Amino acid sequence: MMMRLYLPAGIILLWCLMALFGSFLPLEPNRIDLPHILAAPGIEQWLGADDLGRSVLDRLVMGARTSFTVALGVVCVASLVGILVGAFAGYVGGIVDLLLVRIIDVFLAFPGILLAIALAGVMGAGVDNVIIALSVVGWVGYARLTRAQVLSFKHRDHVTAAIALSTGHVRIVMRHLLPLIAAPLIVEATFGVASIVIAEAGLSFLGLGVQPPEASWGSMIRDGTRYMLVAPHMVLAPGVAIMLVVLAVNLLGDALRDWLDVRNTTEQKSW
Amino acid sequence: MINLLRLLVLCGVTLLVACEQASEDVIRMGLANAPVNLDPRFTTDATSTRINRLLYCRLVDFDSANRPVPALAQWQQLSPIHYRFILNREGRKFHHGAQLTARDVKATYDFILDPDSASPHRTALNMIDRIEIQGDEQIDFFLTRVDPLFPAYLVIGILPADLMSKKHPFRDQPVGSGFFQFIAWPEEGRLRLKRRRDGQLFEFLKVSEATVRILKLLRGEVDLIQNDLPPELLAYLKQKERVQVEQTAGSNFSYLGFNLQDVDTGQLAVRQAVAYAIDREAIIHYVMQDAAQQAQAIFPPSHWAGAGDLPPYDRDLKKARVLLHAAGYDEQHPLRLVYKTSSDPFRVRLATVIQSQLAEVGIEVDLRSYDWATVYGDIKAGRFQMYSLAWVGVKTPDIFRYIFHSDSVPPNGANRGRFKDAEVDRLIEQAEVAMDEGQQAMLYRQLQRRLLQTLPYVPLWYENQVVVSRHNIQGYHLASDGNYDGLNHIERHIEQ
Repeated sequence: MMMRLYLPAGIILLWCLMALFGSFLPLEPNRIDLPHILAAPGIEQWLGADDLGRSVLDRLVMGARTSFTVALGVVCVASLVGILVGAFAGYVGGIVDLLLVRIIDVFLAFPGILLAIALAGVMGAGVDNVIIALSVVGWVGYARLTRAQVLSFKHRDHVTAAIALSTGHVRIVMRHLLPLIAAPLIVEATFGVASIVIAEAGLSFLGLGVQPPEASWGSMIRDGTRYMLVAPHMVLAPGVAIMLVVLAVNLLGDALRDWLDVRNTTEQKSW
Repeated sequence: MINLLRLLVLCGVTLLVACEQASEDVIRMGLANAPVNLDPRFTTDATSTRINRLLYCRLVDFDSANRPVPALAQWQQLSPIHYRFILNREGRKFHHGAQLTARDVKATYDFILDPDSASPHRTALNMIDRIEIQGDEQIDFFLTRVDPLFPAYLVIGILPADLMSKKHPFRDQPVGSGFFQFIAWPEEGRLRLKRRRDGQLFEFLKVSEATVRILKLLRGEVDLIQNDLPPELLAYLKQKERVQVEQTAGSNFSYLGFNLQDVDTGQLAVRQAVAYAIDREAIIHYVMQDAAQQAQAIFPPSHWAGAGDLPPYDRDLKKARVLLHAAGYDEQHPLRLVYKTSSDPFRVRLATVIQSQLAEVGIEVDLRSYDWATVYGDIKAGRFQMYSLAWVGVKTPDIFRYIFHSDSVPPNGANRGRFKDAEVDRLIEQAEVAMDEGQQAMLYRQLQRRLLQTLPYVPLWYENQVVVSRHNIQGYHLASDGNYDGLNHIERHIEQ
């Protein structure tokens, strides 16, 4: 119980709070302090200092905002596009479905992170471009899931009844299909957040994310790799942060999936 | 059964080969960048140039004060535009067995001077009118104009004329007369040479990441590495028992360059404010771990034309603010500068420190780091306000004409900031024709003083040369320009 719900929920809450309220805290993530270059963690600086003497803790908090912004942005954009495309393909069917499925297959056939790197490389560095690049890669998962769910639900009696009552197609999809498939999509979104946090860190590690001196966990790891032998805290702090967030999101996603699974008993749903 | 036997034999042979390779006495040097071109007629990158010095002999070399000294040949100045070079009797054997003669020297320089060959060194030698050989050991150079520094330009490795006529691929199969002989270059990051005097094998291995290079050194996979190391790692390595760290003052000049045609950086007060705002002492002490010396000019004071008495721009925030105010900038109208640098992590780190120091006097710096090709292209095209770069391996004062004379705006030279100053032009021209070295040195010192006043560059520092080697490697002598000549003297002491 503790491991499955409260701990991951607590980590995610902390991540969200850092992202949302970090800028209101008296932090100085970009203040260069030459005498404290590569200072080890201590009372003065809890997580030590980086290669310019900047506080690693302050930068970690500001990096949380970057990963949270990208995760939220990509999940919103990718899920919206994916659900629209998937629902349209599954509901309309026929040649439209065939065509859209082929497009989805093309996207799935290409390694997602490579496509994101290529897109971010072409468009240039920056958070907005990272969101676009990861959304271009991420929508297909939602589209495929939505299409499969719509195909399985669209012949249900209540949908047939709605069609018989001359209900509009948009209304049928919005009112009679999407609420039924919301549960698996929410689970998909939670797992998506974890992979986006890793992908954002990867792109920032390659220099395609936020630009210096702004902080992101990926760029902090990149800066730290040169000093791993003398200042491992530069890599460990953002590395552990990424690991905890991804682990927490995955654990919470698992718990959510179990809770939403209709095969589970009432006792199980109440954890 | 027969198959099993074959397999065993194959395994045995493989193990024997592996043992033989492991027991081979090879001294390995880890490099951040692999050599690109081992044909000295076309080499421009630092690593290739340093390796070519091992493979090829040249007519002239430099002493510790960067004065030209005889290498392959002694010279006489027969008239202001006529030099005679007489080849030494010893050390003139090419690696393929032929004797190095005046014909080879003429063929090498004729090739470089031929416009069709497109050698990047042609411009630096364009004062040569013609080359005549007098027998096997004597070459006469005739110049189109007086240039007392002329012998110092003849530092390109000599190639064998017979192989040149056969279009031999020197680029990846070099044949010279240097102390080292080419053995193999099986892949980009692995070059194998042999020292001629004792047959000692050397390998140059490309290991891009500094941390990996150090780990390989600690594990004994490479025996020495030179430069391109984060300064903090040097302190770490000094604490290790089985490695030794050596540093020497370098001569590679780092600077901040300005676009003199820009509305902001074209003002002397702005450039002076930048110079006063930068705390070079703190950067050298904290960021570079004291592995650099403050610079006031292109040449360090140890250079024969260097100026040791130039007043430094010590940090003075008050003076910087006054200068900015006088130039019309204040808190309501702050000075905003775009600062371009390469994407090398250490360069970005230094630029970020400079950015923060300039912010303390109210200069808002927009730092932009690009890959090398982009930033270099922008600088050559004049698309910048401020940038930082370094001049590497500069030894002769002809650099002043190349980068500061008003006639040297690209593509005619490297006056990338479009700097124009009549006094600087006059001093360059006077120094170039001064026949006496003392007078020449005096004029170049005046010139450097004038450059420090007009500030087309803000001088930053000369980075130290650093070599880190295994404890059993002895005898390596570090050069101030970072060349690898010390490899000719090193020995590996075998542990009992």
